[in-house]
Amino acid sequence: MVRVSFRVNGEPVEFDVKPSELLINTLREKLGLTSVRYGCGIGECGNCTVLVNGEPVLACLTLTVDVDGCEVLTVEGLSKSELTRVQKAFIEEGAVQCGYCTPAFILMAEYLVRSKPEPSIDDVREYLKGVLCRCTGYVNIFKAVLKASGSGRGRERVDKG
Amino acid sequence: MSQLGFRFLARRTPRKDAEPKVRGLVKYTNDLEYPGMLIGRVVRSPYAFADIKKIDVSEAVRMGAVVITPDDIPQKPFNPRLVSVDEVTFKDTYVLTYKPRYLGEPVAAVAASSEELAQRAAEAIRLEFERVYKPILDPFEAMSPSAPRIHEKIMKGDKWIDVENNIAARLDYEEGDVERGFSEADYVLERGFKTGKRYHMQLEPKAVLCVPEPGGKLTIYTTTQSIHNTRILISQLFNIPESRVNVVKVPIGGSFGSSIQTNYLVPIAVALCLKAGKPVKIAYTREEDMLDHSNFVFHFKIKIGARRDGSFTAAEFTNILDVGAHQVQPYPLLGTSLGWFVSMYKWRNLRYRGIAVYTNKVPGCALRGYGAPEVQWAVETMVDEIAEALGIDPIEIRLKNYVGRGDIFWGQGPTVRSVIKSDGVPELLLKGRELINWDKRGRPEEKKGRYRRGIGVARGFHTSGAGGPISGEVIDYTGCILKLNEDGSLDYLTALQDHGGGTLDAHVKIIAEELGVPPDLINLASASTENTPYDVCTHASRGTFVGGECARRAAQILKQKIFETAVRILGRVVNPEALRIGYDEKLGETVVYVEGSDLKITLREIARTAWQRNWGTLVAAVTYRATSAPPSFTVYYVEVEVDTWTGKIKPVRVVAGADVGTPVNPDMVEGQLHGGFAMAWGMAFSEDTKYDPSTGEIMGRMLITDYKIPTAQDVLPPEEFKVLIANTYEPSGPFGAKGLGEAAMNPAVGAILNAVYNAIGVRFYELPVTPDKVVKALRERGETPW
Repeated sequence: MVRVSFRVNGEPVEFDVKPSELLINTLREKLGLTSVRYGCGIGECGNCTVLVNGEPVLACLTLTVDVDGCEVLTVEGLSKSELTRVQKAFIEEGAVQCGYCTPAFILMAEYLVRSKPEPSIDDVREYLKGVLCRCTGYVNIFKAVLKASGSGRGRERVDKG
Repeated sequence: MSQLGFRFLARRTPRKDAEPKVRGLVKYTNDLEYPGMLIGRVVRSPYAFADIKKIDVSEAVRMGAVVITPDDIPQKPFNPRLVSVDEVTFKDTYVLTYKPRYLGEPVAAVAASSEELAQRAAEAIRLEFERVYKPILDPFEAMSPSAPRIHEKIMKGDKWIDVENNIAARLDYEEGDVERGFSEADYVLERGFKTGKRYHMQLEPKAVLCVPEPGGKLTIYTTTQSIHNTRILISQLFNIPESRVNVVKVPIGGSFGSSIQTNYLVPIAVALCLKAGKPVKIAYTREEDMLDHSNFVFHFKIKIGARRDGSFTAAEFTNILDVGAHQVQPYPLLGTSLGWFVSMYKWRNLRYRGIAVYTNKVPGCALRGYGAPEVQWAVETMVDEIAEALGIDPIEIRLKNYVGRGDIFWGQGPTVRSVIKSDGVPELLLKGRELINWDKRGRPEEKKGRYRRGIGVARGFHTSGAGGPISGEVIDYTGCILKLNEDGSLDYLTALQDHGGGTLDAHVKIIAEELGVPPDLINLASASTENTPYDVCTHASRGTFVGGECARRAAQILKQKIFETAVRILGRVVNPEALRIGYDEKLGETVVYVEGSDLKITLREIARTAWQRNWGTLVAAVTYRATSAPPSFTVYYVEVEVDTWTGKIKPVRVVAGADVGTPVNPDMVEGQLHGGFAMAWGMAFSEDTKYDPSTGEIMGRMLITDYKIPTAQDVLPPEEFKVLIANTYEPSGPFGAKGLGEAAMNPAVGAILNAVYNAIGVRFYELPVTPDKVVKALRERGETPW
């Protein structure tokens, strides 16, 4: 067992873990942070994405001992009351369907708008390509991310009548 | 549809579950825990077709695991899908078996206090094999008289039947005089088609938690599209009354047909739970999930006769369905495949032969469209070819022959018929034609250079449910409960599942529209089998059309009771029918009022009065069967770009048209079309689970590294994806609405591949069209880039 201490969503945590323990399991099982979703366990689907020191990391491929001393952010810790611009835009643009992949997309979008305040559509596609979604076809997610960023534009309406 | 004056419908509104989802607070099955629960793991056959002599569990038991083998399970065959009536349900599956028929079939299972111990115990189980057979992976080989029999005896309804030539089920159908029809044709085209064996790749792998309750009752939480059918199956398999099995509806992380049936892990968890007397949870790994379900493989042979004027004279359709090792109701798929075919165009004379064949592969099940994407791809490819051969515009030939308003429609098979009342096909075809710039698309032989663009069209549809005026072979009804709470808010209870498409949000908006109660005050109550009327399943794009109409009827009944109560309070009003209900913007409340007078009372006051004066609860319980399953028509125009050097193809532009009647939420309509197009793109170009011919194992060891679904980089930016919503109203739907989930995808593959043809002049008849196939086709034509 190895003693690790790090911060999760702003709160300090400390555990004794096996050197082989994966971050996804620590977050889900020890801290109840179930927004960190298992989708494949081999780093293909991106649904377990969390931010470690502000950088996206796949929790299913990361050893818990490797985040010793780090700052880990999951969607649960993103906003205590008021939603972020990204979260609001996801709701407004219909970017949420089954919701399973949503936390990973929200975190990637937060990372994107912070590192590239005025992203192009190609930037958005490049940043989001590592997270799989089977429901939305990504289009409304693109709209949401562009809206939440400095590149936000008025939406096209297709209402009938 | 704003002219109809909707207050909530046809408007973009944030869905109720969006906020908890963006906060990451929604709990899916695998997120659930129960004190003292054990973790279960499944032991699977390493061979595709074998006889097991002995299962040695001693080491696993010594490690402290609870173990089950086929000896612990009632050995009666079942079919995990209960959508068809029993007489046409073929049963060949056992929860655990000594005779595995596909690689990965469950043969034993363990449960232990931790996942790690459970995994070690599962690995400690020794399987001794009597005989290992060479797997049969090709349905044509399986049908040959010399092929070994994968199943010998199965049950149809309650009767045992023999399986001959590995044929699982058949359906033949004939209408008119096919020979005469072909003899009257000026042009006859015959083609063969084959699809991949696609995997659903819903992001949430299947999971279950089974909890034993006092009094011999079980509570089951699982990834299912039908809580009631799950309960019925468990009740039947383990001989427990339905009143002692409660299946709870849990949010599901996508499904796309993969849980119409009860997934195999549910009865396994129940058996472990019964043996251990403790809660048991099983959550599949992604690789196990790929061994649990994938689509059928379709082999079509289609012959179509046409006159010079573009009208059709006859069609012959042979459908060889590779169903894999077990039946997950492929028999109704033989019917729907025919239904999709018949309801596309007026063939006039028709012959159909459908044969479902066993192979040693993962059991095939429905995947969004239930055969429609496959049939519509094939038909729309051939209609394009016929139009070209006859020198008729592809849009004209479609308008001339399609099955539309006033015609009899039977998408869900020969026993599910109704007359079409709403039809947006001409509007969508003609508007789309302008938007995509159809007339400038050019001909393939004019296109040169490395990158070539092409435009294609295809149209199609899906049913809205599987209802009809006559009770046929498909079960389709639903139910719900709507009650007025003591403060004027509402609780709404339905067994119907929302896979993510927003089905239940549509119900909420429909109730809101009927009663003028804002969606905020309508609670989507926790539902389980013991507190809801029966609903067959969320499938067949029936959620909005069938479930939504049920919700509307409940709201209508409740409205009547509210009016009667209001009459009692208001005194001066004589007739309940003199009253109206609606949302009063100024008051910020729902009010009941008399038109043209100042007499009004808030719903809150009505609810409170009924409570305080002991008048009882205002509640409506409805069970509803739809008398039709109207088609939601869709039209896709797609522009693609083919890289003739690498064979890679990318989308350039899409115009997606949908006739959904009243769009309950335009955001959700768009979302279905975006998602449907992406899924079609994967079906067209990449998705297939290939099997190793010698071992029968899925190549790539079921890792999704080798199963590519479209990513953010493979789809279009928002400005290149144009959505058209037809201006239609379906009289049998709730406020004019129809379904969409499957129609959103169905014709897209046809449009994509017609666009590829328009770019490079090559037709492909086998999916997926991988880059190597494109390059090979161009080389065979003498084109080499260097």
